[in-house]
Amino acid sequence: MQISENMSVMEKLRILTDAAKYDVACTSSGTFRGNDGTGIGSCVQMGICHSFAADGRCISLLKILFTNECIFDCKYCINRRSNVVPRASFTPDEICELTIEFYRRNYIEGLFLSSGILKSPDYTMELICAALEKLRKVYRFQGYIHVKAIPGASEELIQRAGFLADRMSVNLELATAEGLRTLAPHKTRDKILKPMRLVQNGRSQNAYELKVYHHAPSFVPAGQSTQMIVGATPETDYQMLHVAETLYQRFDLKRVFYSAFVSVNVDKALPAKTDQGPPLLREHRLYQADWLLRYYKFEAKELLTEEEPNFNPLFDPKCNWALRHLEYFPVEVNRAPYEMLLRVPGLGYRSAGRIVRARRLGTLDFQDLKKIGVVLKRAMYFLTCNGRMMYPVKLEQDYIARNLLDAGERLPQEVRGMTYQQLSLFDDVRFGGGVNEKNLCV
Amino acid sequence: MKRIYVCENEVTGLFSALYDAWKYLVPDHGAECGIRFRGHLEQELFCEYTEVESNEKKALSVERMILSHMGWYAYKLIYQAALSDDPDRGDVILGTMLAAREIPDSRRIMDHLGNAQVEQTFELSRTVNNETTRWIELIRFRELEQGILYARFEPKCRVLSCVAPHFAERLSVENWMIHDAVHEEYAVHEAGRQWILVSGEHVDEDRFSSYSAKEEKFSELWKEFTDAIAIKERKNPRCQMGHLPLWCRKNLVEFE
Repeated sequence: MQISENMSVMEKLRILTDAAKYDVACTSSGTFRGNDGTGIGSCVQMGICHSFAADGRCISLLKILFTNECIFDCKYCINRRSNVVPRASFTPDEICELTIEFYRRNYIEGLFLSSGILKSPDYTMELICAALEKLRKVYRFQGYIHVKAIPGASEELIQRAGFLADRMSVNLELATAEGLRTLAPHKTRDKILKPMRLVQNGRSQNAYELKVYHHAPSFVPAGQSTQMIVGATPETDYQMLHVAETLYQRFDLKRVFYSAFVSVNVDKALPAKTDQGPPLLREHRLYQADWLLRYYKFEAKELLTEEEPNFNPLFDPKCNWALRHLEYFPVEVNRAPYEMLLRVPGLGYRSAGRIVRARRLGTLDFQDLKKIGVVLKRAMYFLTCNGRMMYPVKLEQDYIARNLLDAGERLPQEVRGMTYQQLSLFDDVRFGGGVNEKNLCV
Repeated sequence: MKRIYVCENEVTGLFSALYDAWKYLVPDHGAECGIRFRGHLEQELFCEYTEVESNEKKALSVERMILSHMGWYAYKLIYQAALSDDPDRGDVILGTMLAAREIPDSRRIMDHLGNAQVEQTFELSRTVNNETTRWIELIRFRELEQGILYARFEPKCRVLSCVAPHFAERLSVENWMIHDAVHEEYAVHEAGRQWILVSGEHVDEDRFSSYSAKEEKFSELWKEFTDAIAIKERKNPRCQMGHLPLWCRKNLVEFE
């Protein structure tokens, strides 16, 4: 381990940003707070992105680690103890000054503080709490703070952090217990789920307190999130989506983030490094499905099955569902219930809402749909207005799939002109296995 | 003959022209008129042109009229539309106001999106709203020698008056100033006070070029941070460009 004394803030920032960048959560939404006139900062409900990095991801928060020294040896992580990388630690004052000065210049929306495990989980959590306390109470910072709950930290410390932060997160990292065992030997699912449950209980109790006492301090007002790595272990999309669904239902999570596995370490337990880069399309499909779970009233078992456990690379999950369930289509715009409109490929919840409102005033035809801003590129294969489709369409998997491919997302040339049956899924032999409740992390 | 009112290219000017046009149109239903802006004038045939002076009093009475007859929501949208850079916005707003006279409940005018003028007003206000959000994200302050935070930006629409309240809330304990370099307007805020909008003043810009000692350190740190946070295996300049087009990057520290 290399620890250099007297490192400049610039060097520390470089090292500790570099070490924090693989965490994908960077939202500043979910909470509203005005300024009380004693310090700087406020929070906006929808969140604000202040810049975009070269990889196209938004920069909303100052995302740094407190320290990248770590006693854990998670195989996928660049900061694992067996790696020889330059190590650094911030002091609480450095963190506070960076946050305040960046915030004043409107560079950032707040602080995202994570950390490697220094000495012990409790010791690390204590340090994080001390830094946050200083930022909130001495520097009077009122912007957004996202903080990591360290797996294994004690209940009191998590409580303390929860009252200082807006959002907390514990990363699940791997969807199966077996995955955790092989890649993160120092983490167990209990250690991860315990703080998650603590935050959940704290929030529900706090919701009650806030009702009774209007000015009670709020506990993790923006909720908690987690992240899973995509493609480090041979888990299927179905397993991951099932875990995400369970987390939303049983742990009341605000978001589950998916992080395409970036190979930073060489290890026999990890997938071999290839030229293909991180599995970005798979990550994208998981996010699409995640939206379907949260806003479109889909269930994981509708989108994927044990027999077909991975997403189709060519079609988004909703399209894929529709193609497999043509018996529900076409849908009549003027009569279909809102829930059914939500299931039509190409219609978002905004369009569906507009249709429902507009059809109260009269019957709609395709021209009207265009006028109220509904995009028909994909939806036209699944909709009728007054019993008529926009163009004569054969309700046939292959026919619709071919047309969607021509009009839809930009796809590699060689896959065009295939039939739906031929378009195989992520036919990778590595991915297999069903949803065995005992095996999954939640 | 169609009468065209030519006004100053700012909100008070436009509202003054609306006042005159309204006076001319409302008693006489057969009349036709339009509003153009000085500097954006294309001469048309069979029109008479009337110059309008910006007049605070006229503007305020138009504001009162819209508020009392069309309600706060319509006023907000119309005001935002007036801030846009569309050369036809005068006609569009006038059209919306006239359309409001024709319907039973003028306060619901903004629901009548079937009317082309109303829809255009709505679109313009959306444009201004979107640009406001964009600049709330992208305005970058620099600390001057005196400790004042100074930001310069170059918007398409006159969004300064929409952007400033956000910073007045957030940076209430700071002295700051935002400079709209396109329309030559300033929003000035003194710690603990209300912010004010200053326009038409000549300010020596050299005074904004000497930064404090800490300024360079933190702008360098920020550049370092934005560079380090990108994952090089996921590099995607097209995606970045989609979120942050080049015209917005002029005054961004991290792209210098």
